[in-house]
Amino acid sequence: MTDLTLAALLPALESRFGPDVKVLPSRKEVLGVVQVKVDRLVEVARFLHDQGTFTHCALVSGVDWIEHIEVLYHLWSDALKGYLEITVETAPEDPHVPSVTSIWRGANWHERETWDMLGVRFDGHPDLRRVLMPEGYRFHPLRKSFELHEPEELEVKARHV
Amino acid sequence: MNATNTSGTARIITHVKETDPMEPEVPFAEVEAVQSKEYIPVIKETLTGMIQRGLDAATKPVFNWAGRNSLFPLHWGLACCAIEFAAGFGARWDGERFGVVPRSSPRQCDLLIVNGTVTWKLSHKLITLWEQMPEPKWAIAMGNCATGGGPFRTAYSVVPGVNKLIPVDVYIAGCPPRPEAMLDGILRLERLIRERRA
Amino acid sequence: MSEMWINMGPQHPMTHGLWNLRVKVDGELIVDVDPEIGYLHRGIEKICEYRRYNEVVTLMDRTCYVAGIAWEQLYIMAAEEALNISPPPRAEYVRVLSQELQRLSSHVMWYAAYVQDIGLMTPFLYGMRDRDLILDLFQSYTGARMTYEFMRVGGVRNDVPVGFTDRCRKVMDWFDQRLPEYEKVCDNSTIFLERTKGIGVLKAADCVNDGVTGPMLRAAGVDRDLRRDRPYSVYPELDFDVAVYDAPDCYGRYRVRMEEMKQSVRIVRQVLDWLDRNPGPVLAEKVPRFVGTPSPPPGKEIYVERRGYPKGRGFSAMEEPHGEAMAYIINEGAEHPYRAKLRSPVFVNIAASKDYLVGYRVSDIPAIMGSVDICVGESDR
Repeated sequence: MTDLTLAALLPALESRFGPDVKVLPSRKEVLGVVQVKVDRLVEVARFLHDQGTFTHCALVSGVDWIEHIEVLYHLWSDALKGYLEITVETAPEDPHVPSVTSIWRGANWHERETWDMLGVRFDGHPDLRRVLMPEGYRFHPLRKSFELHEPEELEVKARHV
Repeated sequence: MNATNTSGTARIITHVKETDPMEPEVPFAEVEAVQSKEYIPVIKETLTGMIQRGLDAATKPVFNWAGRNSLFPLHWGLACCAIEFAAGFGARWDGERFGVVPRSSPRQCDLLIVNGTVTWKLSHKLITLWEQMPEPKWAIAMGNCATGGGPFRTAYSVVPGVNKLIPVDVYIAGCPPRPEAMLDGILRLERLIRERRA
Repeated sequence: MSEMWINMGPQHPMTHGLWNLRVKVDGELIVDVDPEIGYLHRGIEKICEYRRYNEVVTLMDRTCYVAGIAWEQLYIMAAEEALNISPPPRAEYVRVLSQELQRLSSHVMWYAAYVQDIGLMTPFLYGMRDRDLILDLFQSYTGARMTYEFMRVGGVRNDVPVGFTDRCRKVMDWFDQRLPEYEKVCDNSTIFLERTKGIGVLKAADCVNDGVTGPMLRAAGVDRDLRRDRPYSVYPELDFDVAVYDAPDCYGRYRVRMEEMKQSVRIVRQVLDWLDRNPGPVLAEKVPRFVGTPSPPPGKEIYVERRGYPKGRGFSAMEEPHGEAMAYIINEGAEHPYRAKLRSPVFVNIAASKDYLVGYRVSDIPAIMGSVDICVGESDR
């Protein structure tokens, strides 16, 4: 049963995972938007990979909404010719999300980048290190609490401290 | 183990077995011989210094002339400017007609063209490369990023100007500068070398 | 035999930019690799949150410096989705024209750099010369060689100048002659064939699971091109073939890029014919002021910026010369994007390097990594 059409896919997800999966209103550039509870993420991902033909994990990213952190997955299906958007919400303090690298190896560096930029810990990731910033950097720059300044401003501030 | 320390330049270490008193010690005369020859290196240094200065005065204009007409930049690419750097050595601009030949090893270079954005992660690698280059050496900051951070100066990871890390001789404006601008920068550096040293 | 780690980079003739390939070798054999990137990380995604929508375009050019206009369109498509604006058709055609010229110039640049790495000097001079012809075309309608700042939310900045289409056709005729010659230089060279055939194999199943896209994926025989499979802009109205090859090695990637260049020439010709027949505006009319153009009158900034505007999210994916690139823009009604996320194909292709490097020799690394077509500005952002 690999040939799930889009019309059958989203109801199948809902019937299988019940209240842990919520289908959100879709936009025209993606096939659908699905919100998943954090603890069922790997099961849903496995289901989509094996039975939904979503063989290509295109993008893992995160958004800091201050009250919560949203982790986004964009999956491509060769049969449906489109992207499915999966969103997961976690707490802003010490966020943890299970890793999907066991299903798509391509998610590896995307998860490392999300850890680097937003500080989301991916449980079960084989090698969760910083990828863009040097090891030992203390901040997660894409958090909204991290602000940018002109270099001159910073120099002035340093002089007044 | 016993170390006999003579003064300054000559130093001899003798190995004496402490357990066996019957073992003959190192002949004292050898140490004395070394001490008596202590003046030799001093004279040597003075002489070579004089010769060096004389030679320098005679050869510096020659080396200066040769150096400024064959600046060897380091062949590397940081960012956008590196593509214009490569275009400058392509068929249309042909930078090699000015004697500028990019080399891949910093040991063979006397010009560091910083062609792109320098990040803090790269900064100590850049300083290592700069220190590996033999004297005399020059640096050109190519483009706005290397000059002052450019459009990325507010970013958390970017060094706002490479002159915070190494001494820069010539700055080239542009984002990225055209290959003509890069060649003009190199020619200006040549003029700078001529005026400063000859 | 003892194993040891070697650093290839950050400054190394193989890397084409600054990144570090740490290789674990057993003699000449590669046992393990650990690529390290981030030496050109400029925080573009963070700076985007501090810029107006049209000011972000400046950063997109510099994100990928060999395919700047592709990233401009990628961002603009996502921003138009987020802001709910649609451009006039002529603007879309000018965009696709820029797109394909950029793909041509990017592949020619790749050809120049790659074949020189393999050991032939002529292609570098060929490539750099012919690439300058395309950059001259860009210069005639955008004013710049590499960093264009050409696209705007709701269209493009200006139309192509008078006489452009004829000039462009001449260059395309020139490329029709040159492309077979490019192939002749490589296919008749034993050095090139020995160093590319059967080297750096990455099978189709691994490609898909690793998320590898672009010419690498199509060389492995996977027939996927977002221009055809998930059509954007005006690609559905154009006639072109997708280049697919059935050898997942360096040679296959070379064949795919060569074929893509020919298809780009074909697309450019069709677009030029359309542009000749259909004059019209190139910028949408009712573009909100706060997206950045033109600048608000002094003293009226707050009035202009605080206008209510519907929130939205924009997602766009496109076939960039290196692979599939994506942008995700969140518009929270402010004058700046709330979040801009970019997916770089090169980032993922480098991440998969363990799968296509292990088992080969150290001397194969330049040939393999060159065939990936690495642009560090894009992978580090």
